[in-house]
Amino acid sequence: MALLYRLSFSSSSSPLSSACNSIKQFNPISPKSFICSLHFNDTSSSSSSSSPFTEKHSFERYQRDQWVYSSLQHNRPEPTSPSVSLDADSTRRNDIALQLPELKKLLQVLREKREEDRVGAEKCGPGNVYLVGTGPGDPDLLTLKAMKVIQKADLLLYDRLVSNDVLDLVAPNARLLYVGKTAGYHSRTQEEIHELLLSFAEVGATVVRLKGGDPLVFGRGGEEMDFLQQKGIQVKVIPGITAASGIAAELGIPLTHRGVANSVRFLTGHSRKGGTDPLFVAENAADPDSTLVVYMGLSTLPSLALKLMHHGLPPHTPAAAIERGTTPQQRIVFSELKDLADKIGVEELVSPTLIIIGKVVSLSPFWPISSKEATCLAEAK
Amino acid sequence: MALLYRLSFSSSSSPLSSACNSIKQFNPISPKSFICSLHFNDTSSSSSSSSPFTEKHSFERYQRDQWVYSSLQHNRPEPTSPSVSLDADSTRRNDIALQLPELKKLLQVLREKREEDRVGAEKCGPGNVYLVGTGPGDPDLLTLKAMKVIQKADLLLYDRLVSNDVLDLVAPNARLLYVGKTAGYHSRTQEEIHELLLSFAEVGATVVRLKGGDPLVFGRGGEEMDFLQQKGIQVKVIPGITAASGIAAELGIPLTHRGVANSVRFLTGHSRKGGTDPLFVAENAADPDSTLVVYMGLSTLPSLALKLMHHGLPPHTPAAAIERGTTPQQRIVFSELKDLADKIGVEELVSPTLIIIGKGQAVLQQRYKILV
Repeated sequence: MALLYRLSFSSSSSPLSSACNSIKQFNPISPKSFICSLHFNDTSSSSSSSSPFTEKHSFERYQRDQWVYSSLQHNRPEPTSPSVSLDADSTRRNDIALQLPELKKLLQVLREKREEDRVGAEKCGPGNVYLVGTGPGDPDLLTLKAMKVIQKADLLLYDRLVSNDVLDLVAPNARLLYVGKTAGYHSRTQEEIHELLLSFAEVGATVVRLKGGDPLVFGRGGEEMDFLQQKGIQVKVIPGITAASGIAAELGIPLTHRGVANSVRFLTGHSRKGGTDPLFVAENAADPDSTLVVYMGLSTLPSLALKLMHHGLPPHTPAAAIERGTTPQQRIVFSELKDLADKIGVEELVSPTLIIIGKVVSLSPFWPISSKEATCLAEAK
Repeated sequence: MALLYRLSFSSSSSPLSSACNSIKQFNPISPKSFICSLHFNDTSSSSSSSSPFTEKHSFERYQRDQWVYSSLQHNRPEPTSPSVSLDADSTRRNDIALQLPELKKLLQVLREKREEDRVGAEKCGPGNVYLVGTGPGDPDLLTLKAMKVIQKADLLLYDRLVSNDVLDLVAPNARLLYVGKTAGYHSRTQEEIHELLLSFAEVGATVVRLKGGDPLVFGRGGEEMDFLQQKGIQVKVIPGITAASGIAAELGIPLTHRGVANSVRFLTGHSRKGGTDPLFVAENAADPDSTLVVYMGLSTLPSLALKLMHHGLPPHTPAAAIERGTTPQQRIVFSELKDLADKIGVEELVSPTLIIIGKGQAVLQQRYKILV
């Protein structure tokens, strides 16, 4: 899905160069005043409205994080215009690689601080690592528990599925680290991140791994938990509103409904190799009395729809594809299953998009009344 | 599931009789100071710890709602001891029936108030009806949005799956109406409730229908929405943490996990006739690469487990049954699928209990302490 995003600098080059030239002060006495965040402006080339998920960061944070760019400046020629594309993978790897040394310095400071505290007979416990679900995008859909944890976190790791509005809730002195995965993400860096999480937890910091939606539903939360738990770090999971719930509520689609759907199934559209063939075998998913919700299913949808119909799901089964659900940029395509892939293509929906297939979709007040209107692009907000 | 609860009064009979004898003032000028809530103490006979879902209400609210009991006193003999069981169905029907006249009075007052406002050129819009998910029990699992709506609600309808801690968050002057469904619940009363919701919305009140978990996952939220929408009232749905998510997070069980479970399926254990045969046909649910989560599945579990194994799910598939998940009274039973029904019976788990079946459980079973 990251292939749909083109990296570019949204600001002109002159603030960039002036920012690069100044060096941010690093004050070892109060490490928490040192904010560390690096984020390039991701602009989807196919969407005319700004993404709620990354754009707001770019210049504000850039100015704050200029210390990193001073190193960056040495490594590559300065971009002269906003349309210069950087290689997404290498830039992100560089981001983390650049930040890691700084974070390691912070770690060292926190360790020394902890030693001092121990001498002064203060109670020091192990830090806490939280896996926090942030919901589908609307910051009001955070749980109270998630809010509390986010606001007391020292270090927060996040990715592309965490909306900007949610990131705005962090404490002013907290550190943000972007750890989004792109295809071909270097595994060494992933390990470094895990080690970092571990180290911060050991010195007593509160570390939060932010996840979009719910961490345990297609969030790969289990994998991150495994790693940390193997190292003896207890991870607490704070659930979030999974995309299916948040978006169904937005559209007024009951995921289960007496006489219509007696079960609901969440699937991932991801294929093992990043191809167009969905991961699972669709036979037992082709149940007309069940609602199907497909996460991350844009690229594999054509193939999935065909398989479902092949295995018996009626071609006229109502379906909806919702891009950026619950955010102001939400866009919806309603269609019968047989036309869904085409209509999504026409509207050029991009990730994150949730797909709901089942008779329940037609229960939505926004479901177009006649089949003629099935092409309409509804904005629910 | 309500069959597992026995109604009884938890408090002694003397405060009861004194409460019955006083009559609460009804002030028509400020209807919002009139609190309306009726709730008997539901104590599960098989659980030694108190239910987080109903018990706390009993006496506090009873004292506040004594006006209803004054009518009640005429209709039935006073209970002499806490162990007297009342007929659950008729009591609940009476509850609603008793409250409806009072609520209708309130409605009338609000209507008159709205007329006055209109004369005074104040802006009056239609009220708002919200379907609000309250999560599996822990009040910290409410969304910010749900909190805001609950705190500004005038009338809140709730049932047994909404925990007491959540109900404690309502504004002091808000009205609470218990609308829990029991088997054989009279459909006329259900219609009356719908009409009431409608009427309150029309006079501009903020009406909230509280649901446990998420309203659109086995919450019958769709049916309530349908009714209101047919009458032209727009219902806004505020999602909640569904039991599967809340409990999985509590236990640290991933519902999906690379290489273990590539999908998760939510099922209901309810049978159409309240019997022991699950509603759906289990063949396509017997997928070893999927996690199954069964809501309200205690009574049909024996039958369900057999069907799943019959259709190919391995008998040693790890499973867990979690009673009152995310609350302090949480209890968990871990088992292989083939023994799950027996173990649940031994531990006497009661509703609300969530059942999770799938390979994802295996990881936890090694490390998790069984709370029995």
